[in-house]
Amino acid sequence: MAHDPHAAVAHPPDAPAPAHGGGHATVKTYVNVAVILVVITAIEVATLYVPGIPKALLVISLLLMSAAKFVLVVGFFMHLRYDHNIMRSLFIGPLILAICIIVALMALFSAFILLPR
Amino acid sequence: MAGPGAHGEAAVHGAAAHAHHDPNIGTTGLDNRKVGMWIFLGSDCMFFGSLIGTYLSYKGKSLGGPTPAEVFNIPLTSYSAALLLFSSLTMVLALDALKANRIKASAWWLFATAMAGLHFVLNQVYEFAEFVLHYGLTLHTSLFGSSFFVLTGFHGAHVTGGVIWLLIWVGLAMRGKLDPRDYTKVEVAGLYWHFVDIVWIAIFTIIYLIP
Repeated sequence: MAHDPHAAVAHPPDAPAPAHGGGHATVKTYVNVAVILVVITAIEVATLYVPGIPKALLVISLLLMSAAKFVLVVGFFMHLRYDHNIMRSLFIGPLILAICIIVALMALFSAFILLPR
Repeated sequence: MAGPGAHGEAAVHGAAAHAHHDPNIGTTGLDNRKVGMWIFLGSDCMFFGSLIGTYLSYKGKSLGGPTPAEVFNIPLTSYSAALLLFSSLTMVLALDALKANRIKASAWWLFATAMAGLHFVLNQVYEFAEFVLHYGLTLHTSLFGSSFFVLTGFHGAHVTGGVIWLLIWVGLAMRGKLDPRDYTKVEVAGLYWHFVDIVWIAIFTIIYLIP
């Protein structure tokens, strides 16, 4: 098996990204992020059962909470917060395109959730 | 013009540089395997973007059949969402243990990650079976059925692939073939694993929670 000699080099926790992109958070940070993710998920599900909540407010709050979870996982668990700008561009660029695809398809089929038909 | 001595010296320096050169590190100074995985994940974003866009475009346009509100089991899918979030934590703990040369701990965390993923897949199989057998919702029933099964089915296939990949690493660890020099390889598997988690974060909210 070929091994990666760079991987054996330890980097201090929360340190800036090394040249080949391998920064990381501490175990405490990981656990804190996981707890926050579970709490947000619980709030998301609980929001569904709030009586009389306007649909627009429900949709916006659910999307914002989902986006927060997305950013936390990508930033901390996928280490993108500590990684090189090239890695960020490689992911965020196509992600923006993916969002454009969703919006374009919904526009094509007149399927916007919040706007009146 | 350089003489033979200069050429010899250059050759020695060149050989020394070559000996220290890691073929996985590209001219950008970045690890090619990580760059490749990020490119793949970027393209997979667009793949899932198309499927989510299609689902949303078809939403409420089915001519018949059960509606999402009738069939969705929110407690079950919330549990599945929590399972994937938990598995993302165990994945980073596996990497952290591997970096610290705690191979046994790393293998156990990898195994826990794979088992959480397997549990997620089994929940999905149960959900699909319930839809088909109890509600009569199949790939051919309605626009909702086709767009839902294709989207969540492809996600489930991604999770299954990730479980197999993680179990391969667990197997290598059991045979004594995992050590800190494999960090980047396991990290790349971890990137893939976290990606299936973030796709589920989007699917869970957009498909299951938004009424």
